Amino acid sequence: MRRRTTPRAVLLATGELLLWWGALALLWLVLISTVDTLERVVGAGVAAAGALLARAGRRAVTWR
Amino acid sequence: MNGWILAATVELGGGGAAALWGVTTGPTARRVVAQNLTTAALCPALLLLAQGYGRPAYVDLALLLALLGPVGTLVFARLLHEDLEGRRPSAWGLTYAVAGVGAAVVIALCAVTGPGRAMVKLLVIGALLIGGNLIASRALSGGFRGVLGG
Repeated sequence: MRRRTTPRAVLLATGELLLWWGALALLWLVLISTVDTLERVVGAGVAAAGALLARAGRRAVTWR
Repeated sequence: MNGWILAATVELGGGGAAALWGVTTGPTARRVVAQNLTTAALCPALLLLAQGYGRPAYVDLALLLALLGPVGTLVFARLLHEDLEGRRPSAWGLTYAVAGVGAAVVIALCAVTGPGRAMVKLLVIGALLIGGNLIASRALSGGFRGVLGG
């Protein structure tokens, strides 16, 4: 049994996380009232956490 | 009192009162449908009030309502699925009517707001409101086969 992940799987996972991160960061920027550096930093951080959660949730409801 | 506040008052007095009447009277199937339509009736009124009073912060209330309303309906659909077995409660005419009202309010506010982040936020709220309501209504009427209580 090989537990090594293929480069393709890593690439797919990274792409999905980046996609979630981009969408969530964009949503954050739309929903806040004033755009400044602090908001951008916080938005990027919570979007990263959200991207991990979103991928975990997506995988939990996909029977594959 | 301006046009926006007048429209919000009409929306609250008409749609909100009708929804309240529906929730407090009649059989369970009717109550649960009215509960589902309450969100769709109140959310556009909050958007109109935000515009009427010139307080963009009120828009966040509408966003929360649009997000949590349909989720609440899905919880009711799950909890009451034994009571609602075989009833398939639905009111598609009313559902599409309130969805149309929501769309009209969002479009009118977008026209006033003009292009920008505020307009995208309004469009997100509109999509959440209408999409969430149609999905919740479909779940109530037993539209999702294979989903327990759906």
